Amino acid sequence: MSPEKSRGSMTAFMQLAFNGLALGAAYALVALGFVLVLNATSAVNFAQGDLVMVGGYGAAALAAVLPLPGIALLPMVMAAMALLGLAVAALAYFPLMRRPASAVFISTIAVGLLLQNGALHIFGPEPRAAPPVLSGGQLHLGHVVLPYQSLAIVAVAAVLVLGQRWLFAHTQLGRRMRATAQDREMAAALGIPVRGMIALTFALAAALAGASGALLSNQFFVTPTEGGALILKAYIAVVIGGWGSLEGAVLGALLIGEFETLVAAWFGYTVASALLYGALLVILMARPQGFYGEAAERRA
Amino acid sequence: MSSAALAPTLRGLGDRAPWVLAALCLAAYAATASPYGLRVLALAGAQVVLVLGYQFIFGHAGALSLAQGAFFGIGAYVTAILGGRYGLGFLASFPVSILAPSLLAAAIAAPVLRLATHYFALATLGLAQVASLAAVNGGAFTGGALGITGVPGIVFFGWAVPRGLGLVAAVWLVVAAASWLSVHLTRGLTGRAYAVLRGNPLAASAIGLSEQRLRLAAFLLSAGYAGAAGALHAHILGVVSSESMAFSVMVACLAMTVIGGSTRLAGAFIGALLLTYLPEWLRSLEGYSLLAFGAALLAAIVAAPTGIAGALAKAVAALGRTERPILPTPAELPVPQGPSGLSLLVVRGLAKRFGGIEALKGLDLTIDRGEILGVIGPNGSGKTTLANLVTGFAPTGGGTVILEGRNITALGASEIARAGVGRSFQNPALPPELTVLEIVTLARASLEDDLGFRAALAGRDRSDRRERHEAEAMYFLRSLGADGYAHALCASLPYRAAWRVEIARILALEPKLVILDEPASGLTEAEQGELARTLRRLARLGLGLLVIEHNMPFLLPVADRILVLDEGRAIASGKPEEVRQNPAVISAYLGRKVGLA
Amino acid sequence: MNERLLEIDVPGAALESSSLVVAAGEVVALLGANGSGKSTLLRSIMGLYPARGAVRLAGEEIGALSPAGRARRGIGYVPEGRRLFPGMNVRDTLLVGAHGSAAAAGPRLRTVLELFPMLEKRLETPAWQLSGGQQQMLAIGRALMSEPRLLLLDEPSLGLAPVVVDELMLRLRGIAAQGTAVLLAEQSVARTLEIADRVYALAMGRVVAEGTPAAVHASGVLERAFLGADVVTPIRNSSRAEEQP
Repeated sequence: MSPEKSRGSMTAFMQLAFNGLALGAAYALVALGFVLVLNATSAVNFAQGDLVMVGGYGAAALAAVLPLPGIALLPMVMAAMALLGLAVAALAYFPLMRRPASAVFISTIAVGLLLQNGALHIFGPEPRAAPPVLSGGQLHLGHVVLPYQSLAIVAVAAVLVLGQRWLFAHTQLGRRMRATAQDREMAAALGIPVRGMIALTFALAAALAGASGALLSNQFFVTPTEGGALILKAYIAVVIGGWGSLEGAVLGALLIGEFETLVAAWFGYTVASALLYGALLVILMARPQGFYGEAAERRA
Repeated sequence: MSSAALAPTLRGLGDRAPWVLAALCLAAYAATASPYGLRVLALAGAQVVLVLGYQFIFGHAGALSLAQGAFFGIGAYVTAILGGRYGLGFLASFPVSILAPSLLAAAIAAPVLRLATHYFALATLGLAQVASLAAVNGGAFTGGALGITGVPGIVFFGWAVPRGLGLVAAVWLVVAAASWLSVHLTRGLTGRAYAVLRGNPLAASAIGLSEQRLRLAAFLLSAGYAGAAGALHAHILGVVSSESMAFSVMVACLAMTVIGGSTRLAGAFIGALLLTYLPEWLRSLEGYSLLAFGAALLAAIVAAPTGIAGALAKAVAALGRTERPILPTPAELPVPQGPSGLSLLVVRGLAKRFGGIEALKGLDLTIDRGEILGVIGPNGSGKTTLANLVTGFAPTGGGTVILEGRNITALGASEIARAGVGRSFQNPALPPELTVLEIVTLARASLEDDLGFRAALAGRDRSDRRERHEAEAMYFLRSLGADGYAHALCASLPYRAAWRVEIARILALEPKLVILDEPASGLTEAEQGELARTLRRLARLGLGLLVIEHNMPFLLPVADRILVLDEGRAIASGKPEEVRQNPAVISAYLGRKVGLA
Repeated sequence: MNERLLEIDVPGAALESSSLVVAAGEVVALLGANGSGKSTLLRSIMGLYPARGAVRLAGEEIGALSPAGRARRGIGYVPEGRRLFPGMNVRDTLLVGAHGSAAAAGPRLRTVLELFPMLEKRLETPAWQLSGGQQQMLAIGRALMSEPRLLLLDEPSLGLAPVVVDELMLRLRGIAAQGTAVLLAEQSVARTLEIADRVYALAMGRVVAEGTPAAVHASGVLERAFLGADVVTPIRNSSRAEEQP
């Protein structure tokens, strides 16, 4: 292969790798919110993907009213989504706290339906786009083109993920949320308001989902039904990274973003998806605990 | 005699009356409906079959499968391809539409069914996505994104069932057949066996039911029914596309099942009809029907988890006559066989690790028939681990367990229960939804292999066999003094009854070896005396007993020998009086240093 | 110092109801074999298990309060098996026991670290990496961070070497000396008798004896409850040299 060609394919590869990183970063926010709720409640929040969709619509709608760059709208979207998260907790989790986990699975599927159809009614079926975080345009690094939007996505996601880590590691609130997630009864015996902590966890998860939606819906237009594929990816990220591990979920999501982008570029989106789901099935059948987490099998 | 026979007959008619009425209403509607109305009615019928299938895996087996939509879609595509493209008739395409998804279910069943809830849901979801992708990207084979058009109606050797009323009749005939099968498979004791599986999986294994087999059967049936429903759907619509495989089909099925009622026959009808017609009635409200869908599902799972059918059943039971069901007469059972000359239980080098901790470090013990071995030791010494390993509730990490010459080390819990080892749990393993009589009856039925779908089809889980098992169950309940509680729900048993029922459940499987985990805890002194006498009686009958206990005043007079465990090892063994004086035992068991005068 | 801090109704041997009382600055021991109801009693004081009768803290009925509510009223709980939070380091574990902000907890943190100096060197160590004795100290420290009036401990000596248990008991005596009431459930009889002001003996969920350590010890009720027979090893004659490694 000639030097030009190899440089060309090297550039192409780096280009794709970067795009994959941006996609993975957005996924990481979804997966992080998903696993936070999972740890706090042992329940799967099936509406997490639909919350991303709502965030995307929210950003698009807000932009129509307030002509500001995405970065200014983001805190507003996240705040509104946090409130929505509290509502989801109130509707779909707290009434079912003493029931088996599958009940919450179903109630969050129902809430997802409500979110999807609510969005359909309010916004109509046409895809919408949110404004870019800062601006359109690109950065040229040698032969590699880095869209500002993608850079912004990676930056924002990094800030949010690190922010969540800081919250959990260095604040009383974070310690109390961790305690609630790890041993609810012991947390209560220490005077921690457990319900409040769980509600806050839902709020945080929804805010992260909303951020992801606002970030993604500039490049990928948002439609009411896109939540379904997202929840599956969050789920897969958590399995790859190990059920219950926050770092694992983020890493898993980054891996999925890269995998999807790279494989899709060469073989098409369908093959990428098929391989992803195929890999999921293989992991589940062979090693359901992923790389970090604990065993998932029940006894014979 | 005539009035005694009349009452159940009238009750039987009373049960059937609502169905007959509903069937008449349906027929009347069908006779007067427009072609469009008939089409909707036919589609609703297909949905009934889909939900009936889902009830097996979701309702009865209690497993959240998200592949039902995919199985439906596969059935639809098979019919479209065989019927539409190759022109095969109904008698060829229909069975294959049922078989294809069932084979797929069988192929993935082994690794997938052993996963816990979240993982099972995820695996089935992943499968559904793969199926969906395959449909959209199947090129010429599946018609790609546009799907396959021109699917014929139901055709028998060239004669097409007329669209409209004819098709409706054919579809609802299939519904009737599917309903008959569902009823036959779940109305007898097998349905109750699934309730045990849902309510207390430990109890299911303890009475010899294989969780794997029960779930597998349910999963295969759900796939087969879904395939049939998909086939019907294809015939009715004439068109199959990736929409037939979409996740929305799965969500609709889930909603119908939860809202209608996940274990009752009526639930499938209520759910399917309601949710098929709701969008029609709400057509004027422009798509708010889907919002209503979501709201109804949320309301159902929060407030009415047994669905509309369950709520109706409760209302009817509350209003109806509460006649006391008659207690079956206890049967007399022959005395168990005598000793075989071999040691009953021989354990050699039993070991187990949990993560970094060695719970058992190479334990040896022997129990003979007619012997009561007491096992004592401080917290964390490995007593319950020993029980779990011997009875198959946890896999061993080394060593062998031999039951009367048979190596049972690698067997699972249900197999070991059937091989003749019964065990109790620190919290009695009784399924909350069942009555006391039901759980002990199930143990009897399990012993004779009268449970499971094969047995159900052969009728072995009802009528006189069921009555015989009930009578035998009463024998065990009476011998433990719990016969008065026969019709009480296990969930509401006071502890003074629960321990008796737990032992009755164990004895009903006619074990050779009984392992009891802290049986005296929570018992009054009088009850402890009763328990001690019962254990001695069982030993005299030739059973071997292993009794784990903390309660020394209870255990020491009852046991023939005592084994003392500490940190996974046996530190003493012998007669109760010897062991009691052993200083190593005293310091280990009472905690480091004893100062007792 | 004799004001009744904790009062809880418990069934007595003849099924009559009696009262378990702990005063500020006292060390009260609950002794009994496994299954005697010691843990259940502590859990019902904490609200983790339904109590049979009234539970009063400094005269105030707390039966209607949730466990978190009782913790905030001044009850510290050190459960059986310690139940430290997996993944949290020593500093976080202690801070999460405080009811207010981290800043406000600063002085209290100093005090607790002075009480357990082995923890001071290991503030960043994950709790699971500590030895058994250190973990027990950490669990007690965590409960002390909220400055409780009453400290409940469920079998703190479980799994610990005798030397460590000695140190533990000394600390508990010290904590009581500072004014905290200490209610301690134990199976390990000898050392508990050495530090307790009063003892309740439990069997099958009932109080079968009550009094000073010497009195209860002399009555012989303990060995009957534990072993169903008489085992004679005088308490005062034991020397450290005879101890098990």
